[in-house]
Amino acid sequence: MSGQPSPTSAEVKACCAAAYSRDAVALVLGESYHPGGLALTRRLATALGLRPGGRVVDVASGPGATARLLADEYGVTVDGVELGEPAVERARSATDEAGLSGSVRFHRGDAERLPFPDAIADAIVCECAFCTFPDKAAAASEFARVLHPGGRAGITDVTVEGGLPEELRTLAAWVACIADARPVAQYTEILTKAGLAIVSIEEHDGAVARMIEQIEARLTVLRMSAAGRLAAAGVDVDAVMRYTALAKQAVADGLIGYCMLVAEKPA
Amino acid sequence: MGESSVVVGNGRGATAGKQQRDEVFVEYTKSVCPVCKVVVDAQVNIRGGKVYLRKRCREHGWFEALVYGDAQAYLASARFNKPGTIPLTFQTEVREGCPSDCGLCPEHKQHACLGIIEVNTNCNLDCPICFADSGHQPDGYAITPQQCERMLDAFVASEGEAEVVMFSGGEPTIHKNILGFLDAAQARPIRNITLNTNGIRLATDKTFAAALGERNGRHGKSINIYLQFDGLDERTHREIRGRDLRTIKRRALDNCAGAGLTVTLAAAVERGLNEHELGDIVEFGLAHPAVRAVSFQPVTHSGRHRQFDPLTRLTNSDVIELIAAQRPSWFRKDDFFPVPCCFPACRSITYLLTQGTPGEADFGVVPIPRLIQVEDYLDYVSNRVVPDYAVREALEKLWSASAFMGTVTTEEKLHAAAEALNCADACGVNLPEAVANLTHQAFMIVVQDFQDPYTLNVKQLMKCCVEEITPDGRLIPFCAYNSVGYREQVREQMSGVRVAGVVPNATELQPLLAESPYGSKIARSQHRAGNRHRLIGATNVGRRAVPGMGKPWETRR
Repeated sequence: MSGQPSPTSAEVKACCAAAYSRDAVALVLGESYHPGGLALTRRLATALGLRPGGRVVDVASGPGATARLLADEYGVTVDGVELGEPAVERARSATDEAGLSGSVRFHRGDAERLPFPDAIADAIVCECAFCTFPDKAAAASEFARVLHPGGRAGITDVTVEGGLPEELRTLAAWVACIADARPVAQYTEILTKAGLAIVSIEEHDGAVARMIEQIEARLTVLRMSAAGRLAAAGVDVDAVMRYTALAKQAVADGLIGYCMLVAEKPA
Repeated sequence: MGESSVVVGNGRGATAGKQQRDEVFVEYTKSVCPVCKVVVDAQVNIRGGKVYLRKRCREHGWFEALVYGDAQAYLASARFNKPGTIPLTFQTEVREGCPSDCGLCPEHKQHACLGIIEVNTNCNLDCPICFADSGHQPDGYAITPQQCERMLDAFVASEGEAEVVMFSGGEPTIHKNILGFLDAAQARPIRNITLNTNGIRLATDKTFAAALGERNGRHGKSINIYLQFDGLDERTHREIRGRDLRTIKRRALDNCAGAGLTVTLAAAVERGLNEHELGDIVEFGLAHPAVRAVSFQPVTHSGRHRQFDPLTRLTNSDVIELIAAQRPSWFRKDDFFPVPCCFPACRSITYLLTQGTPGEADFGVVPIPRLIQVEDYLDYVSNRVVPDYAVREALEKLWSASAFMGTVTTEEKLHAAAEALNCADACGVNLPEAVANLTHQAFMIVVQDFQDPYTLNVKQLMKCCVEEITPDGRLIPFCAYNSVGYREQVREQMSGVRVAGVVPNATELQPLLAESPYGSKIARSQHRAGNRHRLIGATNVGRRAVPGMGKPWETRR
């Protein structure tokens, strides 16, 4: 990377955690949304071969919609891990309301130091979050450590092939899961080096295009309904719209995409 | 029609070996012969990326019609299908099977989201296009206050608390008792009324508009206007309505705005006529203070209409593609989602959040499906678990045949749907609240392809949630009423004048057609049909859907 300096790991972690609970980026991204929606979550669950009674770790579980879906539809128990305390609290209360507290728990924790002993999980899911982890190799090693032999890790995430436009490499773009996204080949390399064997790779580029359009729709609504408050909070809608326009073009050009990766810990 | 219309991989010579069919067979169903209305078996096939319904009458041969212009969208829509709700009462028994037992019979799969009362057959226009075959006619009928009350009571008996009743006709505003009918509806557990009108009385009689305005919102119940509005070109008016009504429509809308009435523009859309005006109609609606919705309806080839080709008729997906093509900066075709309460191929809806006036600097528009993953809530096949059940309930009421802008229910549900935009109070902005503040400017776009005698598919009919309430207290699915002979039956019963079965004015049927007294087409007498082929158990069911339907040459029973 050239030009803008890369943010430090601490900056990125703090920014991501804050962004997904209360700052302007949360406002435009929404907190439970991930590209592909429930349909891609189900596809991932199927690829992981989840069976009733299995144990799943959801890394970067957000408000817990995926954890609840997996518990309810696949009969698994789920441990969600999330960096931000407010998100953990909201996930717990939504899960209480859904009557799923018996099978879904949430923990405050870091993907690079998962709060679990070795070899306890049948599967790990990590949706639209791996690319935000500053030390991806450490996170992948943690996945391998927590999985028991034969267990599978399923990752859906943004991919970036080749160079991104300069403007998309700033801190603000980090939290939007863009600037530190990697080519598919790098993700597979990271997972392989951590001792996981790649089982399948699928492209879902349409999902990221739709996410960007959703961000634009939210921004437009905000500009229509709360322009004054946005300006007071220092949110420059036009500036964010320039990012999204660049990002959309990058998707169209094949620079930005979305993939679903499944990797297995050898038995 | 005829022997030549179906050549499916046969007759290409014995030496060529086995041939591939040029289509994918996807459904086996029932329909009617468009000429004699005998119930016949039918099949749905996908060919060239489009969906066709094909059927054969023993007497009149093969018929085929386009039912959906985008096969991918047709198949994808199947998931947007909600389990039906059982009505409190059924009015008929299952005897002959669908579509002969209307209705509703116990085999019907859905309750009535919308009940329609046609108060008369008379109209102050004689439009070249009118599925009701109405006009200045000496031999029609008008319902009495007692009949209206009975019809309302039948609706309430079936629904308990009904969401919407629509008064239609004919032209309901020229019925001398129309205000009394509205009062009778408001006196019953019916939440909202929609008045379907050509707008002439609203344009010319401010007292009438004011009388509606006084009743709107009384006891928390709304009266909304469903204004026939097919376009802005003079030619559109002359070809569809027989007169240039542009000034009248504007006056009617201004009087509605003055009386505080909310209006849905209802556009009949016909190929080669006004299909280029869809974006303009939306834009006109967005700019007028009374208008909160547009309903686009491909012309129903029942009753009176222009000559047409069933294979190139407009369908829902065609209309959606035209809207998107005409206003690409506002719409994409995937902004529209099928309505799950009826059969999902019948109706699609989108909602817009808007601000300002089109063409002005502050104008903004966002289709709600770009904010919410609608399929995560309304895909009933995939989703056992949905992210938020209150949001699903809100979206169900919005993506429904009972949704009309101007009703309390629709406003409340727009508000509730905003809760799906879950995000914490960020930057001092609560997004759900911000969106809720915009919902009073929300704008609804409906695309509804009603079935006709060519396209009728009982699979769709069995889950229809738009019902015609008849003076004898039946609830008949709208498309059955217009396509299989019930309209003629009811008119004959009510007027005492024999009514011939209406036949679509299709190009291929021209040699068989004669003019009815009302301007629609009927079968010429030498092509009498119906009673000679009753081979039940063979391909065709063998009898007419509605036996009481008269022919000019038949003796009335």
